[in-house]
Parts: sequence; structure tokens; C-alpha cells
Amino acid sequence: MTTNPDQTKPTAPPIAITAAKEPSTLDVSVGPQHPGSGHLRMLMRVDGDYIVSVDPDIGYVHRGCEKIAEYRTAVSNIPHLERPCIIDAIHLNWGYVLPIEELQGIVVPPRGQYISTIAAEMNRIMSHLYWLAINAGVFSGHTTIFMYAFGDRDLFIELAEMLTGARLTYSFLPPGGPRRDLPAEFQDRLLKLLDYFERRLVEYDRIFFSNPLVIARAKGIGTLKRDEAIKLGMTGPVLRGSGVKYDVRKVEPYGAYADLDFEIPVFEEGDSYARFLVRFEEMKQSIKIIRQALEKMPKGPIARKAPLIIPEGEAIGRVESSRGELTYMVKGDNSDKPSRVKIMNGSFRSLIALPYLIRNVHVADMPIIYGSLDYWPVEADR
Amino acid sequence: MATQSPTREEDLVNKLKARFPDAIKDSKIEGKHRITIHFDKDKLLEIARYMRDELGFDHVKGVAGVDDPTHKKIEVLYFTGSFSRPEIEDLIVVLQAELPRDNPTIASAVSVWESTHFHERETFEMFGVKFEGHPDLRKLLTLDNWEGPPPMLKDIKFPEMGQR
Amino acid sequence: MVFGAMYEGIKHIFKRTFTLKYPYQKVLLPKGFRGRHILYMEKCTGCGICAWICPERCISFVPPADGKEHPQNPENRFPQYWYARCCFCHFCTDYCPTGALDYSPDYELAEYDRELLVWSPERLSKVPTNIGTYRSVFHGNKGSMGVTYEPVEKQPKT
Repeated sequence: MTTNPDQTKPTAPPIAITAAKEPSTLDVSVGPQHPGSGHLRMLMRVDGDYIVSVDPDIGYVHRGCEKIAEYRTAVSNIPHLERPCIIDAIHLNWGYVLPIEELQGIVVPPRGQYISTIAAEMNRIMSHLYWLAINAGVFSGHTTIFMYAFGDRDLFIELAEMLTGARLTYSFLPPGGPRRDLPAEFQDRLLKLLDYFERRLVEYDRIFFSNPLVIARAKGIGTLKRDEAIKLGMTGPVLRGSGVKYDVRKVEPYGAYADLDFEIPVFEEGDSYARFLVRFEEMKQSIKIIRQALEKMPKGPIARKAPLIIPEGEAIGRVESSRGELTYMVKGDNSDKPSRVKIMNGSFRSLIALPYLIRNVHVADMPIIYGSLDYWPVEADR
Repeated sequence: MATQSPTREEDLVNKLKARFPDAIKDSKIEGKHRITIHFDKDKLLEIARYMRDELGFDHVKGVAGVDDPTHKKIEVLYFTGSFSRPEIEDLIVVLQAELPRDNPTIASAVSVWESTHFHERETFEMFGVKFEGHPDLRKLLTLDNWEGPPPMLKDIKFPEMGQR
Repeated sequence: MVFGAMYEGIKHIFKRTFTLKYPYQKVLLPKGFRGRHILYMEKCTGCGICAWICPERCISFVPPADGKEHPQNPENRFPQYWYARCCFCHFCTDYCPTGALDYSPDYELAEYDRELLVWSPERLSKVPTNIGTYRSVFHGNKGSMGVTYEPVEKQPKT
């Protein structure tokens, strides 16, 4: 493998593609009909087989989420605000109701917190399986893991259908607590599924994570050092793959996480393979959390009645979604509709890593770096 | 009667007020994890450098604009946090500045916090706030040929979506 | 190591797969599945909470087709659903104070004509009859991905 001669030069901060062009370079447009995770356009400036710089051009799925959210009542906003990242719907829903509950002064009962936690961890497993299938699998050409991960994800989706009534679009957590209690045969089926899934994770390790072809493509590619990750404001598995131990579930516990015992996987190398492994280990930790929560589930009511008016004030709430720290700022003005909803999600914060990391790499490394960041264009564009 | 030692949040606010006595206009502490600081918009870079170097707030989670037509101002909020110092890692400090609605300009924080790069582009496009010194201030999310007013201002209404 | 990875994929050639032959074999959906709505006209009072809470504004009110008087409904108006807009969140079902709306496992709502997607109150009050006959059973150690689909009559009553 030849080394890239440009790596000896000091690296410059990301520049816009509108800067002066070298005569040997070519502008290639990647996208926007992106059959992977959503529509994103990257203007790549290519010199032979090396990418000189990348300019992300986002906004192809921008719907004006924050503007429309001002025209819907607090509860009606839930199906609207969970759509940006629909495979992670419980977290987007929960992050929105946390500031509303703070403004209205409601405390969800313990059984409701445990049910929300179980639904959220199931959703984390589902989102990481989708990531494994598409962003890590198909983007690197590994279509077998795509079949495996989507097949197992469907088993979780059938369980979620039993719990909430819908396969993907849950709208499960209005302010005050979950809408439904656990059905009768839910717990047995979930525990059997977790045993089966642990055996499948061993198979995933053999076919994907320990596959020498995947290791050769992903190890050492797109390295983000620890101080760079902090300076760029990364979050989620990207941050934990660079050696920073930060997870909102431990830093500011919400739901039932304060009573449950789990670890945060952190890897020091900061390359794409470390980011792959962080999500793999997180799936194992999610299994542990669900088992404990089912065991420790308290009895009692699941939800409180919430008022229909959002009082005056400003509140911030955050959860740890599958793509990182998801922060909502809700401002109320004593009416039934919020006056401003600001969404700060993990995908939009990872956007700055795209021009920063995809520099002086081979063209074939671009899908690996892009896939390891787990950038979800619809969530970033809102 | 012995005086209580200040909490961590009050300590932070006192340090900022001592360093910038006339630039910090107001402060609010809510609960254990949230501090809001209203500051004078001309002193953004000095306050940002102090917060990053002395107090340890090394990144910005987001930059929000809030439109307030009744008081004729646009507010810009910076949500800052800390990854490197464990004793303040659960805090979110919101730095809030008020800009006049007819000509909203403020210095760009990209030289201090590089994580604000794309957030400032979005606030420029959605609210019309000009960030002076931003290396690449152009439209991010709307169409390339969008010539209309900034979309998130309250002047843009959608009556077909119901009463607001 | 590469052969270990290849074996993991190749071993599935010799396993049995399972295909449910839709539309002759349909899955029995769990209770509370969020399909289309069922309206019980004798319980509806015409209060309008369903239309207020609907995120998509797809509910409007019309008088009943036969012009009959319903004593519990003073303004004699019943909800009409526009399924082209409905996102099936069922907040209307949960927030209805008299329980006049209900879940149903009816998801086969496609039409060739856009106007047929507006469901009148009378059409909504018909209880659907096309429920499934196969239930998915999770074994974990047999079947395709641990799941087999068994006909409902052969299973013990839960």
C-alpha cells in the first residue's frame, strides 16, 4: 500500500470548495439521490485516487421541522418531531417531552419510567442494527450482514408492535408517561429474544467485526484524536470511539437509568474500526439494561395526566439517542402550542467531521468514514 | 450565623461577574444542571475565550435564534458544555445575547469554538443574523436560489396550518 | 479467519426458510394494533377533541347520512376521516372521552380513487372482518430466525 505523500504536510482547517482549484483535480458530486441513509450531497475534490477536500451540501430533506412545531399543540407535536430519525423514535420523543414535563411540573411514576427505559433500549438495539446493516455493511459492500441485521431487527419490531401498536412510528410517550402498559406475553417473548440475540451477536462478530477484510478497510482510517473530538463538539459513539467517556445516561440520568447497572464502552484509537466496536458493545450493554429493568420493574400507575397548556418559560432536556446527545430547548408562552422548539441532535453535530476527516484519503475510504459516523441526513436537516 | 459556601453554579456565575462586571447583564440558575447568562453582544469573544480557557467549557452543542417581535429583538443562544472537566460535565451553560431586530449582527465564535461552524450558518440562514468573521457564511438548508426572507422569523405565517 | 466468516454465510444455504403466502395467509396482528379507526356512533357526542388533537388535521365533522337524531349528540355531527393525511398515531382514540373510537387491525386501505380515501362515519362504524389467521411464534432455536408462523386454531388459547 503506497503512503499518501500529502500526510506529511500540516493539515489545514476545512475550506470551502469555492477556493481556487488545482489543475489536476476534478470535482465529483456524490449524491443527492443517496440510497443509503438519506439524501446528502458531498462535493468531492479528487486528485487521482486521493480526495483533496469534501464540501457537504445538506438540506435535501429539510422540511422546516422547527417552524411547523410552532403550529401544533404540545401532544400533536410528538408524531411530527419523532419523524426526523424514525428508527430512533422513542429517543426523539422522550427528549421532547422532558422539557415539557419540566415546565408543567409533572413527575412520571416509576413504572412509567421503567417502561420508557425498556422501550428506549430496544430502540437503541434496533437503530444500531440498522446502522450495522446499511452504514457499516452495505456502504462497505458487505451485503450478508445487511440481511442478518435486518432479519433480527424485524424480531424487535414485532415486539414493539406488540407494545405500542405500530412497527416504527411509536408516538409512545406523551407528556406524563407512556400510553400503554406491558401486554401479557411481552416479557416472556422479550427474554427469549434477548437470549437468541446474544447468540446472534457471536455470529456477527465472526462474520463482520472479526472479518479480516472489514478490519483491513476500517482500521486506521479516519482517525479522530481525543482533543480534536472535544474541540469539534462530537457526541455519541463518535466521541466514545475517540477516548472520551461521556454518556448522558450516566452524566444526567433520566428515566430509570440511575437505578440500573451498566457500562459505557470507550475505545482509545479513534479510527473507524473503534467507532464500529463502540456500537457493537453498546448493543450488548442494552441487552443487560433490558434484563435488569424487566427484573426490577415496580408496580403502580404508569402515567400522570398532563395539562394541555405549556406555561411561560424556557426548559432544556436531553437524552442519549443512538447517534449521540439529543438536546431540546422548548419555550412556552402560556398557550397550548410551544413558541420555539430548538433541536440539537447528534447527526448535525457530526456534520463538521465530514470535511475534517475526509481529507487526504483514498476515494474508497470515504464510505467507511461516512458510515462510521452514522450520519442520518433527515435528522440533521430536520 | 455561618454563611453557606456557594454552590458550584453560583461560584461559576460569580467568577464570570467578577471578570466581566459590565458585560454580564443577568444570570439565572435552574435546578442543578442549567445556568443561563445574559451578556452584552459586543463582548462575545472575550467571554467565550475565558469560558473555554479558564472555566473549561470546550464545546458548543448548538446555536439557537429566538425571534421576539413584540420587544423588537432577536436572541441568540449558545449552549455550551464541557467534556474535559468531570466536575462540570453535567452543566449546560446557555449564553444569551439580544440583537436588534432590524440589523442583527454579532461576532462569530468559530475562532474560539470550532463546533459552532455549521450552527452559525443555519442561524444566519433562518433568522438573518450576520456572524462577522465566519469563514464560510452561506446558506445551508434552504434552496440554493431561495431569495425570500429568513424563514424562521415570526413574520412568516402559515394561516392554512391553523391558529397560532 | 476469512473462512470462518464465509462459513457463517454459507451455512444458511442448508437451512429451511419460511414464507407466508400473503394474501392467502395473513398474520394475526396483536391486540391494539394501530390500523384504521372504528367509530361507535351511539357513543359519539360530537365534542371535537379528536379533531383538535389530530396532528394532521384530517378529521372534519359531517351530519349522519340517514338524518337520524342521536340523543347524545346535540349538534348531530360525527367525525369523517381523511386517510390520505392520517399518520395513524391514534391520539384521537386515546383522548376520546366517551370511548367512541377504537383500534382495528385493518391496514388494507389502498384505493384506486383519491376520493374513496375519505371515510364517512357510517363506513367507519363497520367492524372489519379480514383479520389474520396465522400467528408468529418465537421459539429461539428453530424456524427461520427463530420464528415460525402457525395457524391460529392449532395454538393454545392465550
